[in-house]
Amino acid sequence: MSLNLDTEDDFYLEENRFKQCCAEFIKHSQQIGDGWEWKSIKDFPDGYMSKTHFQMKNGNTPSIFKDSTKESDEQTFTHVEEALDDSQVAGICATSEVIRYEYHVLYSSSYEVPVLYFRACFLDGRPLTLDEIWEGVHECYRARLLEGPWDTITQQEHPLLGQPFFVLHPCRTNEFMAPVLANSQRENRNINYITSWLSIVGPVVGLNLPLSYAKLVSEQNTKTD
Amino acid sequence: MENRWIPIGRMTDDKDVLRDVWFGRIPTCFTLYQDEITEREAEPYYLLLPRISYLMLVTDKVKKHFQKVMRQEDVTEIWFEYEGTPLKWHFPIGLLFDLHASNTALPWNITVHFKNFPEKDLLHCPSKDVIEAHFMACVKEADALKHKSQVINEMQKKDHKQLWMGLQNDKFDQFWAINRKLMEYPPEDSGFRYIPFRIYQVTTERPFIQKLFRPVATNGQLNTLGDLLKEVCPAAITPEDGEKKNQVMVHGIEPMLETPVQWLSEHMSYPDNFLHISIIPQPTD
Repeated sequence: MSLNLDTEDDFYLEENRFKQCCAEFIKHSQQIGDGWEWKSIKDFPDGYMSKTHFQMKNGNTPSIFKDSTKESDEQTFTHVEEALDDSQVAGICATSEVIRYEYHVLYSSSYEVPVLYFRACFLDGRPLTLDEIWEGVHECYRARLLEGPWDTITQQEHPLLGQPFFVLHPCRTNEFMAPVLANSQRENRNINYITSWLSIVGPVVGLNLPLSYAKLVSEQNTKTD
Repeated sequence: MENRWIPIGRMTDDKDVLRDVWFGRIPTCFTLYQDEITEREAEPYYLLLPRISYLMLVTDKVKKHFQKVMRQEDVTEIWFEYEGTPLKWHFPIGLLFDLHASNTALPWNITVHFKNFPEKDLLHCPSKDVIEAHFMACVKEADALKHKSQVINEMQKKDHKQLWMGLQNDKFDQFWAINRKLMEYPPEDSGFRYIPFRIYQVTTERPFIQKLFRPVATNGQLNTLGDLLKEVCPAAITPEDGEKKNQVMVHGIEPMLETPVQWLSEHMSYPDNFLHISIIPQPTD
């Protein structure tokens, strides 16, 4: 039992490493216009990564947001830069139900892992209920999530902003990250913890990463080989 | 009952402290918000609230009392407010009182609402399961800090259930039969890996401060409450020649700053295994 813990120890994410990974992640996000940014907390060294995107209730991107000049690698490429403000969006999609999703990546010092917080509301400000959030979770994830109460999505207070958010509980993070990290160590590849982690947990709650994040990391690897 | 001093440092039986903490009560008066629509006048409802529990766990009688004078359709989600501030049910009751009302006259006057749930301020509480999930999440997080989750993960589901049932039914012995395991540490160590604590102040947007803090310093000395504050919230400590501006409060008392945090963690944590510490302005009387 203690042997397992010792090896899993190597895969905990230390706080400075967390900030570093986020900085690299955001740098790439800026290059491809993916909308992630770092938010600091006044008077404290803490901060978090944040992104907002809009989605129709039926899961499609409002058509005005699809950029025909970009290659759409994935059909679920639904995020958009927050270039339009809420009133512009409302004008365009007046007859449809547009939902504003906000995602925050915070660091948990208790579990030494990142945690995904998110909230969603309609454009009139009405927040989505937990049931409405569940409707947005892909079926293949729902059964798994319902297995353990500590693995589900629950409403919690945002530890930095003090407002209600939904959270994917972090206590099992190390379990699913350990094999990913062990693998990369074996193959002598550097990976960005945040990229790997977010590509696993994000899709569960409607957040997808363009493939270029992975390409970025492997480019770095070939450069250093 | 309030402002009573526990003689820490004297030869007090530590188990008495555990019982004093568990059985602490706050006399409370619940009044219905004046704009709620009633069929007849609503009398206030008096209740002794357990410091260690949660509002939504102990107020069924309050809800029933006010429902009697209201129409079915007007009774939606209940929420509580003190002097205009919505009360976060996911904070233990004792913490809410210490933070908002400890230096005011008893009883604690809480206003009851059934309309206009403040979505931006409060978490929803559709059932007792939500309280249990929140409570267990806190217990789990505390053990992640104390024992890298080893102790909580080694327990069976029925042990977890016993913690919750002990809290829900106010059964000290039932609760501590399991909780004592969460308060142990290896004989070769002097304490837990890190101390589970949260520091609260009403003046900040940030709900609380929580950081990694070891109970034992590198030189082997036990870290004290004063050491903790110096590191995490230095503004709370009175400077040498300065006037005392704040009270550092846990369960309605101000522990001496020389108290080892390991001792505080073992004896004055809430049932969720966290030390919830309030920093409030020093009363000026």
